[in-house]
Amino acid sequence: MNDKHILDLIENTTFNSLSESELNTIRLHTAECSSCQKAFAAASISSLLLKERTAEVFEPSPFFHTRVLAHLRERQAANETWAWHCIWRATAALASSMVATVAALAVLTFVIPDGPLSPDFAETSARNAYSAEEVILNPGDFDEQASDGSVLTTLYDAAEDGTK
Amino acid sequence: MELARLARAGDESAFEEIMRRYSPRVFRFASRFFNQRSLVEEAAQEVFLKAFTELGSFEGRGSMEGWLTRITTHTCLNLLRSAKRRPELTVSDLTENETTWLDSNMGEAAAERHKSSERSLVAADLAGRVLQTLSPDDQLVLTLIDGEDNSVKEVVEMTGWSESKVKVQAFRARRRMREAVEKLLGHKPSAAART
Repeated sequence: MNDKHILDLIENTTFNSLSESELNTIRLHTAECSSCQKAFAAASISSLLLKERTAEVFEPSPFFHTRVLAHLRERQAANETWAWHCIWRATAALASSMVATVAALAVLTFVIPDGPLSPDFAETSARNAYSAEEVILNPGDFDEQASDGSVLTTLYDAAEDGTK
Repeated sequence: MELARLARAGDESAFEEIMRRYSPRVFRFASRFFNQRSLVEEAAQEVFLKAFTELGSFEGRGSMEGWLTRITTHTCLNLLRSAKRRPELTVSDLTENETTWLDSNMGEAAAERHKSSERSLVAADLAGRVLQTLSPDDQLVLTLIDGEDNSVKEVVEMTGWSESKVKVQAFRARRRMREAVEKLLGHKPSAAART
């Protein structure tokens, strides 16, 4: 065993749990092997350091609980503020999109001029000599002008177009 | 369990009672990882804030103590990971007290625990400095197994690691800690040279 280094032995388990036979093996080997002797000394000091480290214990201060509760309230308040912020942002986005839609519709209705009419629609309009807007906005002006003949012509022309 | 249910429902006094009951244990546990009161308090505070948030996940199958211990382990590990790891500790970084402590604990004398509280503080501080040169996982496993004499199974429960991971981690951590200490002993000038 003396030619076998003892590093695995001291690293495989805690220093305090080494059995008497294992300690004897270590002593026999370290008497002849200086590198293992240093390693064993370092391992024993490591063990001692760790014991000292864990022996030091702190107790909670008298105000610890109060401080944690205060942090908790702060965090909850921050979360609530964040939730309101999110709702406000969502509402603002919805409102602005609605305004944008209304503005777009207004522009399309009142500002952008009518585009070129299809040939069929232009022909019908020319024949009737009045527009839909005129009929709606000034219904009285057209009551007398629209004769029975023109109504029948318009209706039959539309039916013929449909059958074609 | 009743306290947990009440606290989950938003009863602040129930949560305060949980803190009163378990804070000494959380502090004791966190003290194994940090050698400054402020860091221990910070860790304990983080543990209870997390516990409050995660009360919904506590189903009461295990003990609240065990549940809080797991949260403490993970919190301390995360804090250790976020802390800057110190570079290698050399003998020139040691204080006079630490060098004296190493001198007096060389060889067979290391087996005897010294009783002086001042010397214990020096040792605890030195241990902290040596541990800070190791990885957080190494620190955790060394503190729990070699420092606290917890079994591998207990560490498995606390960390959620596999048994083989705990064993391998402990083996490697012991080697790294020994090498760090050996370096300090090997390069340490003799007492006569220093005086």
